[in-house]
Formats: sequence, structure tokens, C-alpha cells
Amino acid sequence: MADKDNLDPMQLMRDWFIQSEKMWSDAMTEFMADERVAKSSGRFMQEALHTQRMFSESMGQYLSNLNMPSRGDILDLKDRVSQMEETMNAVLIEMRALRKQADAGSAAAPKKKPTRTKKAAKKS
Amino acid sequence: MNATAEQLATDPEEITQAEVDARVDQLVRRTIERNIPGLADLPQTESELEVGTSPKELIYSRDTARLYHYDSMVDEVYRVPILIVMSPVAKGYILDLAKGQSFVEYFLSKGHDVYMLDWHAPRADQSKLGLANYVQDLVGDCIDKVVEDSGEPDVTLVGYCMGGLLSVCYAALNPEGAVKNLACFTTPINSDGMTLHQRWVRSESFDIDLLIDELGNIPTELINASMQALRPLQRNANQLTLLNNVQNDEFVKAHMRFERWAADQIPLPGVLAKDWTNSFLKDNLLVKNELELGGKRVDFSNIRVPFLHVAASFDHIIPEGASKDLINLVQSEDKEEIVVRGGHVSLVAGGNAMYRLWPKLDEWVSERAE
Repeated sequence: MADKDNLDPMQLMRDWFIQSEKMWSDAMTEFMADERVAKSSGRFMQEALHTQRMFSESMGQYLSNLNMPSRGDILDLKDRVSQMEETMNAVLIEMRALRKQADAGSAAAPKKKPTRTKKAAKKS
Repeated sequence: MNATAEQLATDPEEITQAEVDARVDQLVRRTIERNIPGLADLPQTESELEVGTSPKELIYSRDTARLYHYDSMVDEVYRVPILIVMSPVAKGYILDLAKGQSFVEYFLSKGHDVYMLDWHAPRADQSKLGLANYVQDLVGDCIDKVVEDSGEPDVTLVGYCMGGLLSVCYAALNPEGAVKNLACFTTPINSDGMTLHQRWVRSESFDIDLLIDELGNIPTELINASMQALRPLQRNANQLTLLNNVQNDEFVKAHMRFERWAADQIPLPGVLAKDWTNSFLKDNLLVKNELELGGKRVDFSNIRVPFLHVAASFDHIIPEGASKDLINLVQSEDKEEIVVRGGHVSLVAGGNAMYRLWPKLDEWVSERAE
């Protein structure tokens, strides 16, 4: 918010936009909620999906010829990394369980656990 | 003129391009630091923002679910542990943004034993996970794990946004289960309150099956766009607010953390998106108690445990109209709804939340956690 003595026209403009943003946003949202707009945006989405499929199929071929990975290849790689992460998670969880077992059987003092005895403060 | 420029003028061969670049970089940086204090300590990379720093351990992982246990900060905790269920489209670090601005840290410091069910991006082969899998398998498994890990027979379930929806569905389907207390924030159960999204999906040209056939999982760009459509100019206003506060280091850092989180959403598994679209947005089955998951009807009147619902008065993502019926459908004797001044995110994170919601929730949970 601009202070009273600040006559920076840019800041005054920013403040005006920030204060009136909700009104403009609401008007735009109301427009988008109109049946006709909803219908045409649904149609636009369908066409965009078809275009994307056609484009990605043809691009995939080009990229393959250039010996370069396509988006699909990158997504496959992402899935493989995710699978590796899952395997690592399983190892981490197993290690935690083993550490807990070792703590329980060890003569050395295990990591101190908090007691579950706390009481809520009484309301005055 | 600085020394490097003088040197360049007299003996250009003795200085490399890399040295010139480094010097120019240093000069630009120094000028920014001297003239725009808010940018002085601007983190250079995402990792420098340091979000989600409270120490935690992963204790369970299945499909897209990741269950974490946070290290206790005190020697004595309440008997009943808290399990936070995050929204499947949002990363859990919004509740652990930074030291001193962390919901999780606040509850740990108040003597609660905190677990969090956070979600991971689904792989292509996980696009078949639907609402029933999320509620009965993933949330259900995590509750069992918390019971096993804590050694206590019951838990306090705290759900945020769609995480609240998963939590109330679980509690309604498993009234004899381990849920001792249930607290939900901005939980959508009535799609009549979500006018724009409802109109979009009810339009005859909207085809969720085509979307899933083509994309498998719903990408974050689409989720982001649908949320931004609810308040299209808010991001621009936020950027201008940043410009107005650019001299305030803390404001700039907090803004960047929020921006990072807002841009860091999780794709939605295809079948879950279909369930959300058809059962919730289109047919509005939840509020009618007519939704069936795994052959069982989700009847909110089965919920009898102490219940708290928190809504935000300026929430444009889950407006009050989308969540206000929940309190009436739940049949708990001990139930309460509070409407806090704030938006969808500022309800749980940020200065507003620290002074309004967190103390209230701590009080509510503590009284029921012995």
C-alpha cells in the first residue's frame, strides 16, 4: 500500500490494481462460468487433445530419426526413476525397523522416546 | 572506471573473458544489493529456499502415499498421535514452510506426536488409482501404520482440502476404526458451491474419459489452470504486492516459498480425477450421502467422533458453500465449525494462521488427545 506522501504514479497504479483485482477476477470467472463459454472451452480442450496427439506422434518420429528422446521417452524415464525411488524407500523403511529392533535389544541407552503422558492445560 | 576496465584498456590479452564476466556479475550483484535491499539475499536456487525442514523419517510407502513421522521436540507428548492427511494435488511442505512459519513445528513444540500422509506424483501405471483406493487402501493403511508405530490404539485425523475429503470418507466408512478425533480444513463435499468447475464438467462438450485416455494422469498444468481460473488475476496482484514490498527481505522470501509451493503441485491419477469429476462435481453424490466406495455407502451420519471443521471466509478454491453442509451431516455430539478470516492457503500457513488457526486447533486437539 502506498503511503500518503508517496506520489509514485506506478505505485499508485499497482495499489489500484491490487485493490480492484478481486472485482475483475470475479467478472472474468462469471464470464467463464457462462454455459456457452463452458461449452466452447470443452470443445477447445477436445481439439487441443487431438492436436497434441497428432503433433506428438509426428514429432516422436522426427525425434527418433534424429536419435533424440521424445516426451514419452522422458516420461518413461521419470517412471523408472520413481520405481527406483520406491525401492530406496523400502530399504529406508527396513533400515528404520532394524534400527528400532537393535535399539530395543541393545545394552547401550537407546534414543530417548518422549513419554505419552502430557495433559491438556485446564481452562480457567 | 574500475580496475578491470582499466586493465582491459591497457593490456587486453592478459585478461580472459571469464574474468570479465565474473567481474560484471559481481558489479551487477553489488548494485542490486546496494539499491534493492529485498533482493540482497534472494535465494539463487530452489533448494536454497529450504522448505519442509522439520526432521522426519519415512515410515511407510505404498503407491503414491508417503507416511512420515516427525521427530519429537519435547520429552512429554500427548497420548494420541496426530495424522495429517494432505490433499493429493498439493505437497505437504506448505504445512512446514520454514522455521518459525511451520504448522508441523508449532504442533511438535506444543507436545503433539505428528505424522503426515504426503502424496507422490503417480506413475503411468498408477493412473488406475481411484477414490476408493485412496480412502480405503492408502489412508486406511497409513492409519494402521501410525497405530503400529506409536503403540496407541487411536489417532487424531487432520485433513486439509481434498485430504479432508479423504479423511471424512474414511471416518464414515470405518466408524469402528482407530479415528478418535477428526479435524478438517476447507473440505469440499457439495459441488453446488463450486459453480465454475461444476458448469465446466456438466457441459456436454466436456469429456473426462477422453482426457484420461489421452493423458493417463491429469498433469499439474491442467490442475493449476483450473484453479487459476477461479481467480484469474490473483497471481498478477501477488506479483505487484511483491514489487511494493521488495525492500522487505522476509516478505520476499515468504513470497518465494509460497510461489514455489503453488507451482509445485502433484498430478492427479486418471481414475481419481474421473471419480472427482463424475461422482463429486457432476452428480454431487457426497452431500446426498449416496457415494459408494468399494461397495459401501459413504454415510456421514456414521461419524460420531469429536469433529471440527474449519472454513476460510475468502476461500475461492473451496468456497464456504462447498463445505458448510458437512457439519450438519456429521452426527457427532461434540462438533464445532469455525470460519476463519482468510483464504484457502493463508488459512493453514502464514501469519494469519499462526495467530488464528494454530492456537485454536492446538486447544481443540489437546483437550481430546489424552
